[in-house]
Amino acid sequence: MTEQPTQEVVQPALEMRLPDTLLEVNNLKMYFPITEGLFARLKGYTKAADDVSLFIRKGETLGLVGESGCGKTTVGRCIVRAYTPTAGQILYKNADDKIVDLAPLDRKTVQPYRKEIRMIFQDPYSSLNPRMTVFDIISEALKVNKLMSQSEMEDRVEYILQRVGLRPEYIKRYPHAFSGGERQRIGIARALVTNPRLIVADEAVSALDVSIRAQILNLMEELQRDFDLTYLFVSHDLSVIRHICNRVVVMYVGKVVEIATGLDIYMNPKHPYTEALMSAVPVSNPRARDKGARIRLPGEVADPSNPPPGCYFHPRCRYAKEQCSAETPVLRDMGNDHFVACHFAEELTLTGVRMA
Amino acid sequence: MTENNNLLEVYDLKVHFFTDEGVVKAIDGVDMNVVNGKTLCLVGESGCGKSVTCRAFLGIVQKPGRIVSGQMLFRQNDRMIDIAKMDPKGQEIRQIRGKEISMIFQEPMTSLSPMYTVGNQIMENILLHTGASKQEARERTIALLDQVRIPKPERLVDEYPFRLSGGMRQRAMIAMALSCNPTMLIADEPTTALDVTTQAQILDLMLELQYKYGMALLFITHDLGVVAEIADEVAVMYLGKIVERADADTIFNHPQHPYTQALLRSIPKIAMRREELDPIKGMVPSPFRRPTGCNFNPRCPKAMSVCREIVPSMTQLSPGHTVACLLYESNIKNRKEGEQA
Repeated sequence: MTEQPTQEVVQPALEMRLPDTLLEVNNLKMYFPITEGLFARLKGYTKAADDVSLFIRKGETLGLVGESGCGKTTVGRCIVRAYTPTAGQILYKNADDKIVDLAPLDRKTVQPYRKEIRMIFQDPYSSLNPRMTVFDIISEALKVNKLMSQSEMEDRVEYILQRVGLRPEYIKRYPHAFSGGERQRIGIARALVTNPRLIVADEAVSALDVSIRAQILNLMEELQRDFDLTYLFVSHDLSVIRHICNRVVVMYVGKVVEIATGLDIYMNPKHPYTEALMSAVPVSNPRARDKGARIRLPGEVADPSNPPPGCYFHPRCRYAKEQCSAETPVLRDMGNDHFVACHFAEELTLTGVRMA
Repeated sequence: MTENNNLLEVYDLKVHFFTDEGVVKAIDGVDMNVVNGKTLCLVGESGCGKSVTCRAFLGIVQKPGRIVSGQMLFRQNDRMIDIAKMDPKGQEIRQIRGKEISMIFQEPMTSLSPMYTVGNQIMENILLHTGASKQEARERTIALLDQVRIPKPERLVDEYPFRLSGGMRQRAMIAMALSCNPTMLIADEPTTALDVTTQAQILDLMLELQYKYGMALLFITHDLGVVAEIADEVAVMYLGKIVERADADTIFNHPQHPYTQALLRSIPKIAMRREELDPIKGMVPSPFRRPTGCNFNPRCPKAMSVCREIVPSMTQLSPGHTVACLLYESNIKNRKEGEQA
């Protein structure tokens, strides 16, 4: 266990200094051990999240984007404490403005926060237990947290069902009786029922058809206004993120490479990976085809258990210089809510998403 | 009919699934044509019948499905032959399937066999359809892998699929599909399981190879962004019928069918400011309880009372632009009276 990282000093640039911050993640590390052989000899670590720092303001929707395997789901799961992080802080400000670090808490002590930070899952088919009724699924969190009596629970579940656009009569039905979009509404109801303050939505609309996806996105925005919710929206779909998010975090191989407001990240990216990602987004108008050349990234995504030295992106980066393979860039504040982890962020002039 | 440049002409194709609960009309009267060397995108939501349509072209409709009626005329050596009449297990279709028409499937993880090396699977197709010897087939396989830009093809040819990433597997699938120089390539959601940057690489590769070999590409997807990137022509499907067909620019900038219009309104636009999305109301109806008249009428913002009674037929608005909607049919009255009489 020699590689076990130690707790690092909080970076001053991202301290929980803003009064309106709800959650702040500092230097979060989530390493999964790779073992080998009969006695599970330790071979190394998959660094799924490596020094991730970000913050979520109260009432906003923060987008977390990146390609598969970049660690975005891992970060989401650490925040809801489905995983116990290897190192780092998850600072959460509760309703009484008290700041707690969720990262080191154990099963018992984290319990009170479980009802405040909830999750919506990607697959509306596998995330609902087929042998539980809608009432059982939605009320489970209330039961576990012993929040109310049986009759109160029934009223609460019926009310929540109505709010997510389902008829309260459906309360005794099983999930198989619902379509994909309706199931996702049940998933949302399950997250909402405990009156949460933060919801982590992990690819919540990725499995849905476009017409249903729009219904669910509108519903989530409406609920956010009415229930004063904060969202962490994890997705690989950049057009959905553009639509729903105030600010966006871009991840690459376990690291945050850029954080900026929605408009900035799409129109004015400062990290070469973000630029490549934006240029790869298909624009839904054939007239955009000739506007600006698409950047073809050479090679493949780095292996998180054996990342390249220096900046993880340098073997694929067309602007890479010598410094990039030697020094790991840190996330720097560029002003205007824009944070970038690139040595040459000031010098590069990068292009944003193509326009029709 | 032989004067034009059509590679495939489909007339009134119907594929029905005879299940225990009833008959599902997965494809209910599709007319379409695929032009030599062009890209046609077939778009629609899940369950609209786009995958079944292309399976019908290869004679691989799964049971309990069956081609009930229709013609599928495919040009082979300047003759039009009807695929619909062929025995799906017979010799004739085997001369076409995998050779003249080949297909790329959605899931690069499951469509390659884990038991055979990548090279073996590609060689199988070459050995089956050409008279090549094993050595020649192997050389051709390595050349193909090189062409789809797989690094070190002479080493990779002996690897098993699990050693390859998703993007690399999809490249191997493309190599397999191209192995016999097909005149038509069907791609069923080939990039849906891939990340955006990998998707961009694969789309570029497919367009480049299409240009090089001059084959027709039938591209099936639900992603309108991908359609806008690659399509020459677009056919929009809803519940087993094609509702609108036109060139890509017309579909995206002057759509005429209410379903196409609604579909385009419901997608978030990346280059625009945030605004409320305009979803299509309701849900896709159950396959056993299709609405009467026009399939889209319960969800259509422009539905008229007559839409519940009459099934719209394809109307030509301008050359190359057809739409199946009663808004554009001038002789509704005559038709209505005719049907009642």
